[in-house]
Amino acid sequence: MTDMEVKKHEIGERNTDLFVNALKTTIPVFLGYIPLGMAFGFLLDGAGYHWIYAFLMSLLVYAGSGQFLAVALLAAGAGLTEFLVATLLLNLRHAFYGLSLLEKFSGAGKVKPYLIFALTDETYALLTTTEVPAGGSKSRFYFYIAALDHLYWITGSVLGAVLGSMLDLNLEGMTFVLTALFVVLTIEQYFNSSVRFPFVAAVGAGATSLILFSPDNMLLASIILGTLILMCREKLMQGNIHVNKRTRKLHAVTVQPVIQPVIQPVQDSSQEES
Amino acid sequence: MTDTLQMLVTIAVIALATFTTRVLPFLCFGSREPPAILSTIEKNLPPMILLLLVIYCLKDVQWLVTPYGAPELFTIGVVAGLHFWKRNAMLSIFTGTSLYMALVQFNVFSFL
Repeated sequence: MTDMEVKKHEIGERNTDLFVNALKTTIPVFLGYIPLGMAFGFLLDGAGYHWIYAFLMSLLVYAGSGQFLAVALLAAGAGLTEFLVATLLLNLRHAFYGLSLLEKFSGAGKVKPYLIFALTDETYALLTTTEVPAGGSKSRFYFYIAALDHLYWITGSVLGAVLGSMLDLNLEGMTFVLTALFVVLTIEQYFNSSVRFPFVAAVGAGATSLILFSPDNMLLASIILGTLILMCREKLMQGNIHVNKRTRKLHAVTVQPVIQPVIQPVQDSSQEES
Repeated sequence: MTDTLQMLVTIAVIALATFTTRVLPFLCFGSREPPAILSTIEKNLPPMILLLLVIYCLKDVQWLVTPYGAPELFTIGVVAGLHFWKRNAMLSIFTGTSLYMALVQFNVFSFL
């Protein structure tokens, strides 16, 4: 082999490693997306639509809850405006996902548009928590994860639409794999960072939204509420620093002249304190 | 034929609306710096959103009816405990999921 070939071979091997790593990382999503996708395909099939539409929707829309909503709207004979508004509102939470990925995606190059397109809850959770394997290309690794998840979703929904009514597997409870995945990734976030306040904000915002909003609206509501809490706290902390500085200044200005003429030596220490 | 066309247009609208929500922050802050307040909370968003996703998974639990969300809370407790202990993602996730499937399929908490 020439040097060139050796190099190519090495890169190819590294990419294979990266792919295998992505494959392992996405196993829980595979186990969750297959039954969830099947449920979607089964519903769409039940509403009287050809399986090709399940395929097209999962390929082009690729949004779990968004597609379930679409089936409901199709069944209700909704107009295009309703589809547009309902989908925008339901998926608006994704705008918050992007906010925390601006930096991570900045060097992603030509796969960036796809990464943005494929940003589901599960892919977001994996991308924000999983470390890129040492020596691997970040954009390639992210692309593998996003594309694999997408593939699982398409496979599940087509399977569900084609043989949904024929299959009688007892998969009850299997989608809990996604809950377990989120629990594990939350704990990983806890290990990876020293900040604890986001968890407090999440419990507050989550519990409030669970009580006040319908199941369909609670995720967006809780994310908005939680973000507001984070912002308020940030402002408060900054405010505190400002206030501290100002009282220090005031202290220095008002106290000094009084003490200064009387006892000279004390002044130095009081200044140091303030 | 018109039905097919209408379905395709509908899918296109849903796809476009979904993509819009995902691309929005990148369009707004792609070329210019995000405001300072955003970059400070940017790091705090992922842990908060992940915990909110866990809570979101409990949205359909009937807290006031038997078994009062016991299978969900119990399994989440086991997954979290196992993960804090062993810190093996696959082990935590699969043990948890199998446990939950067994709990709901065999109706283990029916005594509540």
